Amino acid sequence: MFTMPKFLRGFRAILYKEFIVIFRDRTTLFFMFFPPLLQIVAFGFALDNDVKHMAMAVYNEDRTAESRQLVDAFVNTQTFRVVKEVNSLAELETMVRRGKAYAGLQIPPDFTRKLRAGQKANVQVLIDGSNSTTALQALNTALGVGFQRSVSILLGETDRRELPVEVRPQVLYNPSMRAPNFFVPGVIGTALQIATVFAAAMSVVRERERGTLENLLVSPLSRGGLMLGKLVPYLCVSMTMALFLFIILRWVFFVPIHGSLIMLCIAAFLYVFALVSLGLLVSTRAESQNEAMQMSMTVLLPSIFFSGFIFPRETMPWIFYAFSTMLPATYFIELMRAIILRGAGFLEFWRHLLILAVMGGVLFSLCALRFKRKLG
Amino acid sequence: MPPEVMIQCDNLTKRFGDFTAVDHVSFSVEKRSIFGFLGPNGSGKSTVIRMLCGILEPSEGTGRIAGHDVSRETDEIKGSLGYMSQKFSLYDELTANENLQFYARLYGLRGPAMKERRNELIALTHLEPYVDRRAGLLSGGWKQRLAMACALVHKPSVLFLDEPTAGIDPVARRELWDLLFELSSAGMTLFVTTHYMDEAERCTHVGYIDMSQLIICGSPDDLKRLPAVNPPGTKRLDVTCDHVTVALRAVRKLSGIRASTVFGQSMHLLVEEAMSEQSIRDALGGVGIHEVDIRPIGPSLEDVFVVLTRQRAGGRS
Repeated sequence: MFTMPKFLRGFRAILYKEFIVIFRDRTTLFFMFFPPLLQIVAFGFALDNDVKHMAMAVYNEDRTAESRQLVDAFVNTQTFRVVKEVNSLAELETMVRRGKAYAGLQIPPDFTRKLRAGQKANVQVLIDGSNSTTALQALNTALGVGFQRSVSILLGETDRRELPVEVRPQVLYNPSMRAPNFFVPGVIGTALQIATVFAAAMSVVRERERGTLENLLVSPLSRGGLMLGKLVPYLCVSMTMALFLFIILRWVFFVPIHGSLIMLCIAAFLYVFALVSLGLLVSTRAESQNEAMQMSMTVLLPSIFFSGFIFPRETMPWIFYAFSTMLPATYFIELMRAIILRGAGFLEFWRHLLILAVMGGVLFSLCALRFKRKLG
Repeated sequence: MPPEVMIQCDNLTKRFGDFTAVDHVSFSVEKRSIFGFLGPNGSGKSTVIRMLCGILEPSEGTGRIAGHDVSRETDEIKGSLGYMSQKFSLYDELTANENLQFYARLYGLRGPAMKERRNELIALTHLEPYVDRRAGLLSGGWKQRLAMACALVHKPSVLFLDEPTAGIDPVARRELWDLLFELSSAGMTLFVTTHYMDEAERCTHVGYIDMSQLIICGSPDDLKRLPAVNPPGTKRLDVTCDHVTVALRAVRKLSGIRASTVFGQSMHLLVEEAMSEQSIRDALGGVGIHEVDIRPIGPSLEDVFVVLTRQRAGGRS
């Protein structure tokens, strides 16, 4: 019969036991699966910064066909919708201040007259700047509308039928520029991370707290056997979770997957391997579940900001950029976007895969080496 | 042939920072003994066990299990020692059967050998009705039996039990001791920590540790014969009567009483040899107690530990 090498002594015992414990311990299983699912759904919907149909109040003092055309032009961009026609500038300001409208459009009484006379006609747009994302889009759209009106009037005054310069942008990979396409692959990275690291760290720390670790230490179990026996089950659970998240990505948020599924799974596997190893590394030092929680948090929290999940890494100060190169999440999120959105293949991104594999390997070796076979 | 020494400590010491948890403890335990290790909470009992099991590094001194050094030959001792910790170390989510299988696999058993050993242990501990129940749902006594079975899975020659009877019912306690005697007669060496004096009386040898130091070690009979416990010119009497607390107050007024304590329905007295039974009867008659039964007794282990602890406290101050 096949016998285990010495450094894996006790591996199978831990493996069987851990699988049973994971499936019987419903609470842990729930807390492993529920938060990531909630996270992906919440982030997927909430982080949708395609701002559409922003509430806009209109104070139209002109009341002519031209002025109404201008209002229509605003609405036709789909960025704005008119929530109310008001009758004074003060009312317009109040609407914006109270948050009833993100923007206020004021068309002065002389708008049409000046336009016809070939003079400069002024239009005022009030924008709620408290949310920079929506404000920026409102601003750009408002300027765009004004510009377009001006250009079409100017064109009418000359013989030209076409614009002298026309820029034809072609947005690759995410042509509709939907935010979920950008965010959801990133959320998979952070969602997997928290659940996996915690669960793996807790599984060893709980044994320490319950006192079962003492008996494991007395037994001939080897460090490698213990760590591998803990690694494999959590790897399986996290991979299952990754598959769930991919399914949600594809069929709930309708993000098209351009790359190969095999690549996606390889990336997820290497990432999860690094995460479980990280969790186990935490568990070799943490004495209590609280301590494990805090230690994991010091790694997990920064990675939400620095992994490129929300803020692009390229614009970070160099120190944060350097820090981000040490986070597994950074590589995984880049891989996800590359594979899912751009259909990148192995040849373009083998470096990222290699880095993740090395990280996982180093972390796992560290925890097998650092795990003390003696008590405090 | 001299008896085989299974556990040996020489100046075993453990310091945690400034605190010395175990202070130069030396003793040895022979094969087939049941060694009772007594002492108050925090006196260092569990620390000694952990060092002897090779999971805590001694700061000083050596420990040997079956001739192997516990800090240097860790792998060699693992096969020969079993350990049942205070918390029972069971996995609540696993059934009794699965817990047993887990420990069996951990010690390298598998296939038919594992099943055979499991069945033996279930028979030995009478766990049969509970094999499919989750360990977390077992009562204290059954948990303890299961933990015991788990600790025996690899047929260790030395078994450490850290307060195996804490918090379990008297029936389970007695059955555990029956099991311990069975194991010892089969050749196993047992090392048991306990708070119960009646359990200590059952041991072949006892050691008493207080404030990190081993105060005394020997067979219960040897300890009871110690001169310190039996001061020359004294004897011990058991006095059975009604209203023992009243009686105790009356007796304590007599000269010639060295020590006195209530023991259930009777008093245990340490009195001067010359003192007559009649003087005690007279004193009790004086407080209206007339039905009195007096008989000579030997010291109990409790007497031994009380005397030695007091002596030590006196020596320190």
